[in-house]
Formats: sequence, structure tokens, C-alpha cells
Amino acid sequence: MENILEVKNLCKKYKEFELKNVNIILPKGMIMGFIGENGAGKTTTIKAILGIARDYTGEIKLFGLDNRKDDKKIKENIGVVLDDMFFPEILTPNDINSIMKNIYKNWDSKLYFKYLTDFALPNNKAIKTLSKGMRKKLEIVTAISHHPQLLILDEPTAGLDPVARSEVIDLFQSFIQNEECSIFLSSHITTDLEHVADYITFINNGNIILSKTREELLEDYGIVKCSKEEFEKINKKDFIKYKKSKYEYEILVENRKAFNKKYDIDTIDKITLEELMVLMIRGEK
Amino acid sequence: MLGFIKKDLLMIKSNIKILAILLIIYVVMAFQGQMDLSFLLPFISVMIMMSTFSYDSYNKWDAYVISLPDGRKNSVKAKYLSTIILIIITTIIITILSFTISYAKTNMIDFENIVGTIFGSLFATVLLQSFIYPTIYKFGPEKARIVLMTIIFCIAIIGGFIIQYVDFSPIIKILNFIETYWIIVFLIAMVVILYISYKISEKIYDKKQM
Repeated sequence: MENILEVKNLCKKYKEFELKNVNIILPKGMIMGFIGENGAGKTTTIKAILGIARDYTGEIKLFGLDNRKDDKKIKENIGVVLDDMFFPEILTPNDINSIMKNIYKNWDSKLYFKYLTDFALPNNKAIKTLSKGMRKKLEIVTAISHHPQLLILDEPTAGLDPVARSEVIDLFQSFIQNEECSIFLSSHITTDLEHVADYITFINNGNIILSKTREELLEDYGIVKCSKEEFEKINKKDFIKYKKSKYEYEILVENRKAFNKKYDIDTIDKITLEELMVLMIRGEK
Repeated sequence: MLGFIKKDLLMIKSNIKILAILLIIYVVMAFQGQMDLSFLLPFISVMIMMSTFSYDSYNKWDAYVISLPDGRKNSVKAKYLSTIILIIITTIIITILSFTISYAKTNMIDFENIVGTIFGSLFATVLLQSFIYPTIYKFGPEKARIVLMTIIFCIAIIGGFIIQYVDFSPIIKILNFIETYWIIVFLIAMVVILYISYKISEKIYDKKQM
């Protein structure tokens, strides 16, 4: 399978934070969810992929092209939504159209205005007058109106109400119908990713600590809930992390079926991405 | 490139009502002889462009623009080209208004005096903006204001010292020479100053961490 995005050994050092050997591979036609807590390195990774952050080491390839050498060619083919970074807010959606048609070769004004209508976005109102949700929708519409092959989205559903989030997710899914297209999106709203992502990559404190398919994670991984006595009988090698609550132990296991065969504990549930995140970050070993 | 220039021009356009009101007030004041319109040139163009920098910074446009094709390469260039377009437009408007006011007040146009004053203002505008832009790219529009005020304060003190103790006769000789060819000399000087400023800004922007 051809890869649309490849990040190899990406390192980037700040005074108080460091990306350490980040490796990401996104095959064509797939959606990758990029999760991690605030300050884990999601935005820094995205900024490095886009060439916004400088002075990093490692190799980043998009569409098989080096992001430093083939910058223009790459950017013609990607659509971007960045957290809190956009057009100056005194401009209107109409202004954005007249600017973008002079920036992207493939800018599709007809498609852009169709999306504006579909999302009930006004053409002539300044961005500053739009609600946070409407603004986010405008950012997404702007990112997809030049027929990009790859969408790179940093928190695209943040600030949207459930209805708007569902609309946006439908849009992502229709975008991915074309098997040439892929999406790399970071999000705190892990339930959205459970619906759409084919791959989940988890970054913590600048390290990629997990990168698997959604099926592997949601089907194989499990959360075991047991008493102190039961916990003490479990071999440390058989779980990833555990968290002690007031009445029980929550244990993250990599293969719930194998665990179930080995131990006589009944409460083994499928895990949600949110539980996974919390246990991976706050859990102990 | 055109898209990036358009962005700045559309931002200016969205403030057009405020600018029109300001212009009307100044024209009335000029009619009453309370001020010279040529001073508007540096004031208006610097003020307008500073506001575009502030909006860019507030919405983190400088980072977003890099995600667009040729964004890093064209962003600074577009800002300078938009500035040149703005200066040309404001110079034309102010020249026409100055001629009209001069004719309305005296029934004749004091061509030489008006062109001289406007050219002086034009030079001051280019000089000011050439100095301000690299400062903004380096420190951001908010910090740049403080840095600029500090620098202007220092220049005033050093300038005062120089005026008292330096012999100006060689400079006066140069100025006498310039008087003959002043338009050409000023035009070349403006282009050179603006180009140097652009190159400095481009270098600062290229190395900037967003």
C-alpha cells in the first residue's frame, strides 16, 4: 500500500519540550487519528510536517516527496485546519474565495460556495462575527475546496456542537470515499475518532507510545476491573498500565481474549479511546 | 503571489469607511488652513499597514500562510508590494486633493510647492515603513511599537548631540548637488531603502519560529 505521509525519526527541541524520534506512517485512503493530552506534541508534529516549525531533524515525506524540497507541489495537494490559526478576522468568506482562487491552482469556487450553503455559512459577514463553531466550519470548508489529496487537521471538531460535529464527520467520510485521499487529524474528542479513524497514533510527552489500527485497539485491547486481591495475582508482564480507584483496580491489557484465558476475572470490557488515553497517561506500571 | 497581495488589500478595503471619514476631516481642516494634507501620507499609510500586521498577528496568519503554496516565500514580498500599491494610491489621492484645495483657495495651483512637499512626505513614508517592517517581523506588532518608540527617542537624543557638535558644511554641499537632481536621487534612495528593508524582513521571517 502506498504511503501518503511518512515521518521518520522526527526530533525537535524547545527549551522545555522535545519531540523524540516521532515516526508516523499514513497509507493512502486512510484516516489517522492523532491523540494525546495538551502539550504532548501534536501541534508541534503537525507544524513540522507543514514546514511551519523549523530546525527539526528527521525526514518528512508527503506523497513520496520531501517536505523541504518540494514544498509548493506538496502544499497544492494538502488542505489544512490549524488550531487558532486562520485568515485575519476582518475578512469575509467572499474575501477568502477571491484570495484562495489566486493561491491554489485547483481552487473550486463553485464547490466552496456549495459548502458554505450546505453549512449555512454567510458569504458576506466578517469572520469575527461568526460563532466559534461557524468559524471552525469555515476553516474546514476552506481546507477542502481545492480538491486536496490529504487533509491535515489540528483539532477540527473543537468548539463544535454535536450536530455540527456529526456534519463535519460526514464530510470527512465523504472526502475519504475517494480512495486517493487521506486524513491526518489530531483531536481531543476521541469519540469522533472511534467513528472515523482507521489508525490511531498516540503521542505522550513528545514520544509516540502507540500506533495501531482502530480494530486492533478497540477489539483487542481491554480494560480489566478487579479487586486488590485479584490484581495482586496478575503477572506484571500481562498488563500495560493500571490505575487504582477507590473500590477497584482498572488494568489496561493488550489482548483481552488472551488475558481472559489466563486469568479467572469476569469483568474485561472493550476499551474506549478516552479510557486508553487516561490509563496510558495517568496509569502506573 | 496575487492572492497574498489581495488579502492585504481586502483588509484595507474593509476599513475603508473609517479611512474615508478621517480623510473628510483632514480635507476640511486643510481647507481651513489648519494643516497640510501631505502629512497625511505617512500617517495614513503607516497606520493602515500597522493595522494589517496587528490583525495578522492576532489571527496567527503568519503561521497559517506557511501551510499555503509558496506561503513562506510570498508572504513578506506581498506585504511590501501591498505597501507600494497603498502608497501610490494615497499619493495620487492626496496630490489631487492638494491641487483641488490649492485651486479652490487661491484660484491657482502652487504646483512646485505641492509636489515638493508631497515628495518629501513620500520619502518620509518609505523611510518610516522600511524601518518599521523588519522591526515588526522581528518583535511582532505589539513589541515593535515599544522598540520603535525607544529607537526614536534615542535618535532624538543622539541627533540633538550631533547638531550641536558636528560640522555640516560637507553635507550642505551634497544637498546643493541633490537640489538639481532631487527627484532622481530621492527615487533611487527610496527604491534602495525599501529593497534593503525587504531583504532584512525576508531573512527575519525565514528564520522565525512560529
